[in-house]
Amino acid sequence: MIRLGPGAHPSMEESSMFFLTYLRRELRRRRRQTVVIALGLALGVGLVVTVAAAAAGVNNAQAGVLGALYGVGTNVTVTGSPVMTGRFGQVKMGGTGDLMLNAHGAESCQNGKCREVLAGQSVQILGPPFSAFTSADVAAVARLHGVSAAAGGLLLSDSALTIPQKTGQAGGSVPMTAPSPTYFSVQGVDTGHLALSPLSAGTIISGRSLTAADSGADVAVVDSGYATSNNVKAGSVITIGTVKFTVIGIVRQPQTGGSPDDIYIPLGRAQGLVDASGFAETGQVDMIYVTAASAADIPAVQHEIARLLPADTVTTAAGLASEVTGSVTSAARLANDLGTWLAIVVLIAAFAVASLLTMAAVARRAAEFGMLKAVGWRTRRIVTQVLGESVTMGAAGAAAGVGLGFAGAAVIAAVAPKVSATIPGSSGSAAQATVPGGPTGELDPATAPHVLAIPVHPSVTVGVIVLAVILAIAGGLLAGSFGSWRIARLRPAEALSQVA
Amino acid sequence: MYKLTGVTKLHQKGRRTVTAVTDLNLVVEDGEWLAVQGRTGHGKSTLLNLLGGLDRATQGTVELDGTGLGALRETQLTRLRAEKIGFIFQTFNLIPTLSAAENIEAALIPLGLSHTARQRKIAAALDAVGLTDRAAHLPSELSGGQQQRTAIARALVKEPKVVLADEPTGNLDTDTREDIIALLEHLWRERGLTLVLVTHDSSIARRAQRTAVMTNGHLTIRQDSPDR
Repeated sequence: MIRLGPGAHPSMEESSMFFLTYLRRELRRRRRQTVVIALGLALGVGLVVTVAAAAAGVNNAQAGVLGALYGVGTNVTVTGSPVMTGRFGQVKMGGTGDLMLNAHGAESCQNGKCREVLAGQSVQILGPPFSAFTSADVAAVARLHGVSAAAGGLLLSDSALTIPQKTGQAGGSVPMTAPSPTYFSVQGVDTGHLALSPLSAGTIISGRSLTAADSGADVAVVDSGYATSNNVKAGSVITIGTVKFTVIGIVRQPQTGGSPDDIYIPLGRAQGLVDASGFAETGQVDMIYVTAASAADIPAVQHEIARLLPADTVTTAAGLASEVTGSVTSAARLANDLGTWLAIVVLIAAFAVASLLTMAAVARRAAEFGMLKAVGWRTRRIVTQVLGESVTMGAAGAAAGVGLGFAGAAVIAAVAPKVSATIPGSSGSAAQATVPGGPTGELDPATAPHVLAIPVHPSVTVGVIVLAVILAIAGGLLAGSFGSWRIARLRPAEALSQVA
Repeated sequence: MYKLTGVTKLHQKGRRTVTAVTDLNLVVEDGEWLAVQGRTGHGKSTLLNLLGGLDRATQGTVELDGTGLGALRETQLTRLRAEKIGFIFQTFNLIPTLSAAENIEAALIPLGLSHTARQRKIAAALDAVGLTDRAAHLPSELSGGQQQRTAIARALVKEPKVVLADEPTGNLDTDTREDIIALLEHLWRERGLTLVLVTHDSSIARRAQRTAVMTNGHLTIRQDSPDR
């Protein structure tokens, strides 16, 4: 009877040297095929990395747009309907304020008191563009299930209008143009809930931000764009309405070329400014910023707030994202949809080429593998050798692919134009003014759509690099497995006869 | 050593069935040198494959030291070849990317020896075939005779009981052919191997202890050989 040995159990180290030597020499012998397979995988992987980086850049741009509007900690925003409505010959501005154009100029009414404003004279109107919420409304929202925090905000428009010289007759044939205001926006910030205000999205570049201790102080933080245009710096004194505020800091908001609020003051001081302008009740706000307990709670919170305040607009980041138009959404669709599919197609092609070439190489080496089986190599050992060669090619493809991906992302960053984002105003409509026979014009940019130009910064994350490496090695394994299947079916006698 | 009883091997070639070996009976003793002659395509290589466990008989039994090879699983046959059977091929079948020493080492990998033990055996094998100074050369850097010596060293390095040689001098010139056969003969005598050598060369066959002839799949022992 034959007695066979107990079975070979060489240490990994003992046989690994031979394994690595054989692997290295074999890849060098098939240099051209090795390069083709590795390059194919590199191309697929590089495209995945580039597309992911571009998509991340566009998605970050979108998120930056929303973040600037929402603030870091806000999930849901509640706004009232715009109070600046256009009527024939009339402009409503701020609370119960009214400005009626007539043949001589205009009649300005505030809190039931009216005065004539002659043509050529200026009218300053400070008021909120949205209808009011009470402090009870804010508290009711804060008590809703799923709400972690709620804070009020007060957005004011400080507009100065110059009544045109020739206003004509109402209904007359002389065309008139609507008066164009100079304008800046003032955001009243709840200093007890700073994370919920748009101020939180910005970076203080000079001085300091508002704190809870500033709640009753006449201090302001000014947007960097407004500060530059109006030569304002930390320490300057600015006038809002009739009150002087000391600038304590300059803030830079995330997006460029956009329209962030110009000035941020404590909520209580903003409320004090408009108390005389027509709010029925002291302490009212025109925006509520809400933080949900978790992302999963946001839809329910939105629904509950809409039930509580049915006449008002409840907006979530996801809802606003769906309303953002412009090339940023097109770019996002391009990167996420078309880019993803393109990367998948190229990867499949690379996997197919790698598999076919590996199977062809195994076929050419049939006699070699037949000989190895003849001298006692088990199929498993031969398969390990072939898989090792394929995985090595996959790893080379991964390294080259990540490099290609970085290069692709750099090219996109260098040549890609800025994308645009059009963000609708509150309730999606703009405040308008009409005059008899004249065109309509926007009076309050606070409610007008914003068009932003946003640079796209592709970013390659560690997660994408890991994914790329996994894909390339998976491609190598897939190719090797096809070759291994062929080896497993190889009959030594048949394989050896191919040479003979 | 070997006992073949009623062995038949059929190959399926598409729709056709080709009979490679028909009702073959053979006994090979321990330490015997058997030469198998015959024309191309008459079943010599098939016989060698059956003896080496590289193929299985369609009918009949092939026994090696009392164990039927047909009853062994594939892994057992692989183990058998790793430990007990050495092969020498007409076309050498060396791995082109490995040196002479590494090609010999390939035969020792399945045995699980330590690196030191492997190196010792490789050195001894190279010395036995006179190729110590060619250990680091690739097959492309060796002559035909040197490549076949390397193949012989690979077959013998594991100290097998049986060496199966399929036309070992088929690709060599006359002088080299003589050197290789002389080397095989020397090693056969020195180590007490059982050697089954397939050849179409009568001068080589005459050097064996016994000669068989394959004709159309039938094996006949030559009249001037001892009848087993």
